[in-house]
Amino acid sequence: MAVYVYAVTTREHPCRVEGMTGVGSEGAAVRVLSTEALRAVVSDIEGEIRPKRRDVAAHQAVQDRLIEDGTPLPLRFGYTAPDDDAVLRVLDEKEDFYRGALERVADCAEYHVKASRAEDLLLREILDDLPEARRLNEEIRQGSEDPRLPVELGRMVAGEVEQRRANAAEALIGSLAPLGREYVVHPVGGDDFLALSLLVRQDDEDALKALREHAGDRGDGVEVRLTGPLPPYSFMS
Amino acid sequence: MTVMPQGASGSPARGGQGGTGSLYDVLELILDRGLVIDAFVRVSLVGIEILKIDVRVVVASVDTYLRFAEACNRLDLESGRKAPTQLPEMMDKMVEGGSKGKTKGALSGAMEAVTQSLSGREDEDDDEGDEEEQEAPRRRKPARRTARRERE
Repeated sequence: MAVYVYAVTTREHPCRVEGMTGVGSEGAAVRVLSTEALRAVVSDIEGEIRPKRRDVAAHQAVQDRLIEDGTPLPLRFGYTAPDDDAVLRVLDEKEDFYRGALERVADCAEYHVKASRAEDLLLREILDDLPEARRLNEEIRQGSEDPRLPVELGRMVAGEVEQRRANAAEALIGSLAPLGREYVVHPVGGDDFLALSLLVRQDDEDALKALREHAGDRGDGVEVRLTGPLPPYSFMS
Repeated sequence: MTVMPQGASGSPARGGQGGTGSLYDVLELILDRGLVIDAFVRVSLVGIEILKIDVRVVVASVDTYLRFAEACNRLDLESGRKAPTQLPEMMDKMVEGGSKGKTKGALSGAMEAVTQSLSGREDEDDDEGDEEEQEAPRRRKPARRTARRERE
């Protein structure tokens, strides 16, 4: 029977997943497969899967449980193997690789930081700072029909928005990156100007405290959202 | 996952309880990062992918410029208003009009988020098959119009 695969851990990891239900509508029990050196956490899965949000949550719940007892290698959501043997075979074949990857993230967790700034605030600031933009804005508001004005204003503002977001991102990376053993910068969406993942030692109290202090609304309209500890999704390649 | 303090000014779309909100914040990690085992097969992510963020790229185009110009033109006009006093009326409208699949302006998008958050939609889980398709719009913060416009 096909199995859904959640994570790879060391052989010593207790993998306390008893009682957990896995991905898929049938909610099969989460269980563990072991070789001499490694373990894989899996659950049976039947038929065609049309994953939903609760499946993503189930995937994440297993990771949350595992990381309590040691950092796992989290699989990307959605991977299935034909059967148990296929999983065990991969664990054997790629044992060295997985051991190396486990060593790299040992005792660490991923902390994910997203920072945003409301666009309205940013635009207001830009208009305050640039007299030329303010003048164009006024002219348009007063009913000028010149079609070049909005394009000119927009071009000016768009450039400033990008520049200011990039500067804000750079500054935040500068203060956060040293807190982690490694870091990865991700693409951003919406009003976010930064999405950053840090690999932080779980026993590094100072780093964790500093991270928490960065979270929240910092008064300048910048909102920093921090999620973690997470399994090291971003540090698998 | 443990949720660390998030901003007190978290948007309504994220809800007060960190759970779903943080899952949303790390969805790209779960779907796009993590270990890949070549020998294994990935299930179809139709319906899940739509929940992911729109990567924001400010395209140097006239359309983008016009959108920024419009946003600037609107700024001061909107700043004088007291948004909260308008809430009830707008919420009624959104409830009446239904909320699925419309192209929304900034405010109506925000109202939808508030409406759904108040009506407890945030807490319900997805037992209907097509629910995922409805999630993307309501989870967008109002200002995400940036991303939408710029993809066009």
